[in-house]
Amino acid sequence: MTRRRFFARAAASTALAGAAAGLPLASCAQEEPGAAPPAKSRVVVIRHDSLVAGGDGLSPKRVAEVLDEAAKALAGEARAADAWARCFKPQDRLAVKVNCLGFPTSPAVAEALVQALGAMDLPAERVTLWDRTSRELRTAGYTLRSGGSGPRCYGTDALAPRGNGGYSADVFISGGTGSLISRIVTDEATALVSAAVLKDHNLAGLTGVMKNFYGAIHNPNKYHDNNCDPFIADACAQKPIRDRLRLAIVDATRPQYQGGPASRPQWQWPYGGLIVGTDPVAVDRIGCEILSRKRAGVGMKSFEAEQRPVRYLASGQALGLGAADLDRIEVVSIGRPWLDIE
Amino acid sequence: MMARTPMNRRQFLQAAGAGACAFCAARALGADAPAQAPSDAKPQAVVHDAMWFERLPDKAVRCTLCPRECVVAEVERGYCGVRENRGGDYKTLVYGALCSINIDPIEKKPLYHYLPTTTALSVATAGCNMECKFCQNWRISQYRPEQVDSLVMPPENLVRVAAARGAPTMAFTYSEPVVFYEYMHDAAAIGRKEGVGSVMISNGYIRADPMRQLCKHLTAVKVDLKAFTEEFYRDQCAGRLKPVLETLEVLADVGIHTEVVVLIIPTLNDSADEIGRMAKWLLDHVGPDVPLHFSRFHPTYRINNLPPTPVATLDRARKTAMDAGLHFVYVGNVPFHEGGHTVCPGCGKEVIRRVGFRTDVSNLKDGACRACGRKIPGVWTQEQALAFTPKAPAAPKSEQAPAAARS
Repeated sequence: MTRRRFFARAAASTALAGAAAGLPLASCAQEEPGAAPPAKSRVVVIRHDSLVAGGDGLSPKRVAEVLDEAAKALAGEARAADAWARCFKPQDRLAVKVNCLGFPTSPAVAEALVQALGAMDLPAERVTLWDRTSRELRTAGYTLRSGGSGPRCYGTDALAPRGNGGYSADVFISGGTGSLISRIVTDEATALVSAAVLKDHNLAGLTGVMKNFYGAIHNPNKYHDNNCDPFIADACAQKPIRDRLRLAIVDATRPQYQGGPASRPQWQWPYGGLIVGTDPVAVDRIGCEILSRKRAGVGMKSFEAEQRPVRYLASGQALGLGAADLDRIEVVSIGRPWLDIE
Repeated sequence: MMARTPMNRRQFLQAAGAGACAFCAARALGADAPAQAPSDAKPQAVVHDAMWFERLPDKAVRCTLCPRECVVAEVERGYCGVRENRGGDYKTLVYGALCSINIDPIEKKPLYHYLPTTTALSVATAGCNMECKFCQNWRISQYRPEQVDSLVMPPENLVRVAAARGAPTMAFTYSEPVVFYEYMHDAAAIGRKEGVGSVMISNGYIRADPMRQLCKHLTAVKVDLKAFTEEFYRDQCAGRLKPVLETLEVLADVGIHTEVVVLIIPTLNDSADEIGRMAKWLLDHVGPDVPLHFSRFHPTYRINNLPPTPVATLDRARKTAMDAGLHFVYVGNVPFHEGGHTVCPGCGKEVIRRVGFRTDVSNLKDGACRACGRKIPGVWTQEQALAFTPKAPAAPKSEQAPAAARS
């Protein structure tokens, strides 16, 4: 499929999606626990040849174009700027949490988001790409930046001089978790994006946009029992995170279906996609389906059979963070069908 | 007659040696500074081969140090947050990375039957293998190494500092020494050779073989027995009671001097029935002479909705335990309380008198009651401390020998 045909078809999907349902953008952050979620959570899975290269081979400019299409489909808007404006305000201070542990979120995907947001006049200088430590960011291929033009990029540890290693002074309690939270969230950000990478996890089954926030708390090591459940959901429900989370993006350009969270190239494949939504539970559910389909296709046992079921999705739904049940999720598939996995 | 040997800063820094960071040392040795994370934290992890683990497929490891037996994938850490899988090898990140270092009275540990009136060079790293909601030192125990500022001090330097400071003992304390096992093990081994004893102030959440191995080098152990129900351990500590009781049995079997502390928290672990069962268990499995301390809770960390423990509750617990047959039961964290003194079980006279951390041992003569001559169980001289050898020095059984685990 040529780029022209792809984007023409994407535009059609957007129009269809917009007509089909009102959009629950940012609704995930505003529901009360236990409240009934919107009728369906929309998740856009967009696949394109320009995403197949994955990792270092990605062009931020091309990825930004794809992200624009995803945003339009998600928001049901004809213009990308209008779609992004449904999520963010120009005066927002946006913190994009990437995952740099082992197999990282591609820097091109994060940079593409910054470029795309420029269309809605959110200056790059008001965006911070971050993870736990600057060292991890650098190792993952990110360019550290604390000033000048362009997005900021640093770890929580860069804020250590403010105390507590860069974490909040107070303990935030949420369900079974009690944690300090990165000051990038509590002190700097008005809006959050979870920009995760789709990969297998040896305990949780899946690492996606929800578990990505283990990198926002000071003590993630305490919360890996019982397949990280309900702790992943509890961490996402921490008030500073929940109140700010506006968008969830999964880098599924080259997902990893086994051996995570470390990078295992032999179990990565060129899916060539991005998964985008405002409901973190629904986005992870779709990611889980993709990994599960791939594992089945290559004859691997399911997560359940390997004693690492993805339990946290149900806990997230129970907490009102979003939809875990597939019949409560509307998948807008752009490009190659999302479950067409060799 | 509390011992206080002066030592100026210059002497300390000289003793600390090249590995010590002067800035951090000055901070850490501030007069009786409480153990807490500094505000200008910088990564200061010290990576060292871990002991006690098994290799698993796909470069995973199983940690066999504590009862959690964490299965840790590559790039991940165990529950303690200070042991990391790097390429299929397990590493400790806190070998010699001391986030707290103080000279404390030994009574502060508390150890009441171990070299009273002496001091202990007391150290900690970040990390713990439990998460007690009432932890007094949570700003180091619940932090990861890179979140605290640390003074790097190799074990041989620690021994040298203790000796130079006139402290007969090194105390591994404040956070949870089980998680910095390798450093404690090596420092204690060196200390023995250099005439410095080592005490572990611990939650006792450690597997039997590492504990036995460590006892070859330690001279005393204090175990925090958090409660006597599995529910409390599960709900308040993210741990289990049974392995702690097994540790107490190992310590009794080995014969090392052991004291037990129970922090009494109103409504959570203060029932007479629970205290009675606990005391009976200690009597049956450790013996009537184990010093037992009931300590007063103060609101902190994740338990801020309960009041400090009423002194009457501590008095009742003490009476319950003594009625059960334990000889040496104390009340702690209550200044000027009569339950802080050691009373001779034979004649009822005060043998050791304590007011705060000031200790009067004039009624203890050669480890016996001066009034009636009854032997008081404990470790009363450094010679006695250093002469300790485990009764049953069992070699590691199921796991690989520690030396083999080091690459």
